[in-house]
Parts: sequence; structure tokens; C-alpha cells
Amino acid sequence: MNFLRSALRWSLLFAAPLLISPAVSAAQTSTHSSPAPSRVKQSGAAVPEAYPPALVQSGGSLFRQNCSFCHGRDAAGGESGPDLTRSKLVTQDVGGDKIGPVVRNGRPAKGMRSFDFSEQQIAGLVAFIHTQQNTALRRKGGRKGVDASDLQTGNVEAGKQYFDGAGGCATCHSPTVDLAGIASRYQGLELEEQMLYPKHAKSKVTVTLASGQTITGTLEYLDEFTVGLIDSTGAYRSWRTGDVQYKIDAPVNAHVELLSKYTDADIHNLMAYLQTLR
Amino acid sequence: MNFLKAALLLAVSALVMIAIATPGMMLAQGADEQMLLHPPADSWPGYHGDYSGRRHSSLTQIAPQNVKNLALAWAFQTDQIAQIKSSPLLVDGILYFTVPENIWAVDARSGHQIWHYIYPRSQGEHIGHRGVAMYKGYLFFVTPDAHLVSLNAKDGTVRWNLQVADATKGYWTSMAPLIVGNRVLIGVSGDFDNLTGYIRSIDPETGATQWQWNSTPPAGTPNQTTGGMTWMTGTYDPDLNLVYWGTGNPTPVLKGSTRPGDNLYTCSIVAINPDTGKMVWSFQVSPHDTHDWDAVETPVLVDADFHGEPKKMLMQTSRNGYFFVLDRTNGKSLLTAPFGPVNWSLGVDEQGRPIPNPAKEPAPDGRLIAPDEGGMTNYRSPSFDTRNGLFIVDAHPSYGIYFAKPADGVYGWAGADYGVWGKGVIEAIDYQTGKIRWSHEVGPEGSGAGVLTTDSGITFTGDAQGNFLALDSSDGKTLWHAGSGSHIVSSPITYELDGRQYLVTSSGGVVFAWAIPQA
Repeated sequence: MNFLRSALRWSLLFAAPLLISPAVSAAQTSTHSSPAPSRVKQSGAAVPEAYPPALVQSGGSLFRQNCSFCHGRDAAGGESGPDLTRSKLVTQDVGGDKIGPVVRNGRPAKGMRSFDFSEQQIAGLVAFIHTQQNTALRRKGGRKGVDASDLQTGNVEAGKQYFDGAGGCATCHSPTVDLAGIASRYQGLELEEQMLYPKHAKSKVTVTLASGQTITGTLEYLDEFTVGLIDSTGAYRSWRTGDVQYKIDAPVNAHVELLSKYTDADIHNLMAYLQTLR
Repeated sequence: MNFLKAALLLAVSALVMIAIATPGMMLAQGADEQMLLHPPADSWPGYHGDYSGRRHSSLTQIAPQNVKNLALAWAFQTDQIAQIKSSPLLVDGILYFTVPENIWAVDARSGHQIWHYIYPRSQGEHIGHRGVAMYKGYLFFVTPDAHLVSLNAKDGTVRWNLQVADATKGYWTSMAPLIVGNRVLIGVSGDFDNLTGYIRSIDPETGATQWQWNSTPPAGTPNQTTGGMTWMTGTYDPDLNLVYWGTGNPTPVLKGSTRPGDNLYTCSIVAINPDTGKMVWSFQVSPHDTHDWDAVETPVLVDADFHGEPKKMLMQTSRNGYFFVLDRTNGKSLLTAPFGPVNWSLGVDEQGRPIPNPAKEPAPDGRLIAPDEGGMTNYRSPSFDTRNGLFIVDAHPSYGIYFAKPADGVYGWAGADYGVWGKGVIEAIDYQTGKIRWSHEVGPEGSGAGVLTTDSGITFTGDAQGNFLALDSSDGKTLWHAGSGSHIVSSPITYELDGRQYLVTSSGGVVFAWAIPQA
């Protein structure tokens, strides 16, 4: 597979066993022209909707041709693409209002291309993906994919020791400051991925112009030829790398350095410890 | 003499000169056997250019001294969202390139479209397409629903269309066929079902099957693996009369419990006699793979000294993170060395094969693995720079986490894996030692660009942000770049037409031709 696609893993926020989002029971405002799914409400919680079988089938066919390589034929994960049956975005989607834009626009930064599908085709994909998620959610136990319960093999005390000692985590992080409540914000696989390498972490950059003036901001773009930042006013500014000097402060690189040092037990222990920080 | 007359005279004398210089090149002949065996400078008649897979050109007009002036000659917009992953062919002044279900024939001088063929919308994976093959005046094109279509190169009309695998079982096809003599060699894809991989030899005239070589036993054979897909184009040594092909990973992909042992011939490099379809030797680069690291990366053929002795070698930078040098007469190992961080093996055995560490198989609570599933490199071509003796590859140092548990079953993917971190590095490997002579970082996550080298000492490739790059092959320093506006997921080619050298690259859905500006 193309490793650009492996970058896709953050493209849809997926989480451990999902609650049916309140958004599902919110009024449907979708404008698509497909047959609207029937909806039944029960004591405030939405029951998974049923889509017309023909729509699900056509969506499944399109999914298989265009999406299944990365997301799996059953939408439960393929070559590195996220498991859509565990996707928070899918759970929160109402009639394609969240899935549609992702499909149409892609997530270029994460390696997902865009698709120029018609309204009807998107409606089919939406019906198929929701149907797959609903089927998966109804399954009690023995579910494929990564559950939070799979990630409980570590030792809390050993994890704390690693955090304070060999791992060097305490150099930058504190369980009572930035990591307070981290296990409430992220669970299961999402927490583990954040722990191993927080992809959304921003770096700082200080650019020194030929005049001697310095500008510090959030690193927004960098290749061999151009450095770009968001300055303190929120504006994007860029320079040719040959015209300036720049210094990047990327504390996230400490996570990269750990990758070659971790044992699998270190990771499991660290997970056990982080999961106590609710 | 007025201008028109002068121009006419010039044109006529140029034609005469060309006719004298290259007899037989006045008429479009298609890709005959001589062209495939010895591609002229004004051609790129196969996926790899020539049969060796070196993707190294003897052209020198674009040189380190002038490459800073390299400018756009033309661009061609496919007006499609599908990314171009194919390598164009160039025969008789016409480029042929593809995305799934589409072929374009484009004038290599001007970039204008001659014809565009669209295959009817079909079932099967539309994940990518690597290009067409050409035999005489015929093109050969595989489809998502696993058909092989033969077309007339002149106008894109279909000669015949036949099924080469059963798409309803989960096969699809995406590779560029390899023409050897009067044989069209095709391979198949299909990782989401437990299927047998194979190479099939097909008569270019009739479409009849000449032979089929299966990489794994039939599905359902107890304790045996399936898989070993053959989804990239092999290489060919006409003197030894051997075709070299990389095979894919075993299935179920991330779980090895139902397929004990090495799982031959998955994750292997195999040498096949193209006349008989019989395997002559094999070398397995990943015994009992559980990480999706197929060994389909180009088997590059190099004739050179190895530790002072002249050798016919085969080299591969494999997805599993190891660089292999084999004696291609017999498949024996000459060198095995990692070309980036690798944490899944217990070392290398006496035959030069990495020994998989059972503790690094996917597990319910996860295993951190280097490289990630995309691998240390993937389908984009490396290049062997014959001038500097360097194997140059777009490498991808990376880590991923791999999971598998009983609920994932033993069919198809049978587990889950997630990339954690990766970056792109163009690496120049000394083939005699496996040491990295120079490296050039190309950005976070990694670049999808392949590599082309030339005798003038340039390495053409690209970075993660979509810049086309020209590097100095001796030290990796940047000589030229151009932002392309999209991800690059293809390998460059080069050719010379009318005395002018062109570099052809692609990114997103656009093909770019570059040349040194002329007065």
C-alpha cells in the first residue's frame, strides 16, 4: 500500500466503544435527495437507523471499489485506514453531513484523496458506512479491531516508574498539569496513539531575517525551500529558507526518540499508568 | 531567401539527417523485440524503461551544471481526481500513461492528447494503476475487475478483452504487464481474501494462456498459506533467459496461526524461465511474514564487481527494511543489510534471510514495529546509479503498531495496524557493504516519489510536500526543484526527442515534461 495512506489514521477521529452521539437524535438537516432513513426514537436515545437495502448495496459497491483498500471491505479497517465502525465522526454524522465533506474534500494532509461523487453516490456510501457501524455496535463482545479492553495488560506502577524515570516523560509532562484528565479526553487506541506520537502537536519556530529582526510563531509549513509560520497576530508569513535563518523548537521529537527505545512492555505499562489519569 | 523557405529547407534537411542517422525510425513500428532489449534514447518502451529495472539513463544533456535552468516544456491535465501512479511508456514519440480504467496517448513533444480510452466502470479495487505494456503496435492494460485489455496503440480501439482473475473472489489488477518475446506477463492483486497469487503468460496475438505460475497452494489447503500476490512488474535477463518477480505477503495478512512455517513462495524473489513458466530459484526475503511486507519492490539487475569479483547481481530494497544483494544466476545471497530502523527480526540466517521474531507478531495488546506497514519503501521505483555504484531509494524510516486477536478471524486482513510515525529519506546505498553513502531528508510522513538517475550524475526524485527534486548523485545535494502542487506517487522517466532531453514526472492528476530551455 501507499504509505501516504498510512498517514490517514488520524483523518477520522475514532475512539473506543462509542456512545451514540446526541447529534444522531438531533433534527436531520441534510439536503441530499436520497430516501431518508426511517428513524425511531426510544427514551431519548436513537436506535440505529435502517437504510433502504438498495441504497446500502449501491453504497457498498462504491465503497468496495474506492474505499475498501484503506478502510477494509467491511469498513472496519484495511491497510492502515481507520476502522470506520469505531469512528466518532461516523457516529456523529447525520445523513452525510460529516461524511460527505470528508469524501468530497479528502484529507490531503493525511493522505486521503478527494472523490467527485454525486449526491446519490455519497448517500449510498453514507448508508453503507452507517449500516456497517450499526451492525458492529450491536455486536456484543468478540468484536474485531482494537478495544480499550485489549489495552489493559500493563502494570500501573511500572508505567509510573517509566514515566518518571527511563522514559523521560516527566521532563516535559506532568500528571497534574498538562496530562490531568488525559484518560477522560482520550481512551483506548486513541490514547495510545497520542501517547506514542501526538501528530497534532505544534512546533515553534523563530525566524531571523537578514536585518536581524526575529519573528517567532507556530510552525505551519517547512520544506527545503520555504519556511512558514503563523505569527502572534494569526497571520501566515513565509520566507525562502536561503534568505533567513530559522530555529525550530519541536518538543514532539522526544516522542520519536523513544520509539527505538521502548519495549512493548514499556508501552503497555505506560498505557496502564496514563489510564489512571482521569 | 524568405523565412518560410528557410524553415522548410531546415526542416527537410533535418528530416534527411534523422533518416540517415536512424534508419527504420521514420515509420511507427511500435515496441518490437529489439526496442525492448535495447531501448533507443527516444523511447521508454517498458515500465522500467529497459529490462534491468535500474531506471538509469545514459542521457547527459540535463547535467548538474545546467539543471538549475530546467523548465517546464509542457503539462498535461488528466482532469481526474485519481492520482497518477503509472510510469509512462514512450514509443514512436507518443507517451502512454494510465489511472484506473483510463489510458491517455499524448504527444511527447507537445503534451497534446491524441486519444483517451475509458474502460467501462467496473467492480474491483480502484486503488491505483501502474501503466500499460506494448508489443509491436498493441497496448496491454489491466483493469480493476481483473481483465486484460489489448488495444491498438494508434487509436486506442480495443482488439480483445479477457478475464485474467475472478474479481468476485476478491482479485483485482493494477500492474503494468511485462513483455518478454511473444509473451505478456501479468500479475494479480488481492489482500482482503485468502487467494492464490500467480503470474500468467498470455499470447499477445490471441490472448491464449501460455502458462501460469502459482506462488501459493490453492485456498483451503490445510496448514498452507495463501497470498503471494504479484502486483508489480518484474525484470528480465535475456542472457540467462530468466524473469525476476517479487511476490506479495501471505494471507491471512496479520495472523500466521493457520499458516505455520515459511509460507513459500510469499514475500519472495523468484526466477522463472519465461519459455516454460517453471521456477528456477527463489529467495524469501520475509519468511512467515505477519506485517504485510510484500517483496514486490523492483528486483534490480546489475552486472558489476562484488568484492572484487564480477557478478550478475539482483538487488532489492525490500518493504521489510532490508537491502538484499543476490547472485541472480542461482539466487544465493551476497549481502543482507537493513537500510533503516528494523526491530522485528532476530538477525539474519545463513542463507541471508531475516529471522522473524515471534514476539513481534501482531498481538491483542499491540506490538510496536519498525518499519510500519507501508514499509521501509514501497512500489515506487529505486534506481541503480551505474556511474557511482549506488543503489538509490526513497526510504521510509517508520514505526507502526500491530494488533491481532481471535475476534479478527483468520480471513483476509485478520488484524489491525496503525502507522505511528515516519519520514522520507532518499538514501544512496553502497551495494558492496550496505552502508548508506549519503542521505537526503524529504519530509515528514514520507515522500511517494520514485527515483531516476542519469549518466550526467543527477538523481531525480521528489519530496513529501510535492517538490520535484534534482539531486547530485555523488553527494545528494539539491541542484533544482519545482513545486508540483500535489503529492507525488510515481517514478520519473527520461528520453531524448529531436536532440532534446525531456524529464517526465507526475503528481496528482498532472503529467509534467521538463527540458532545458532552447533559444
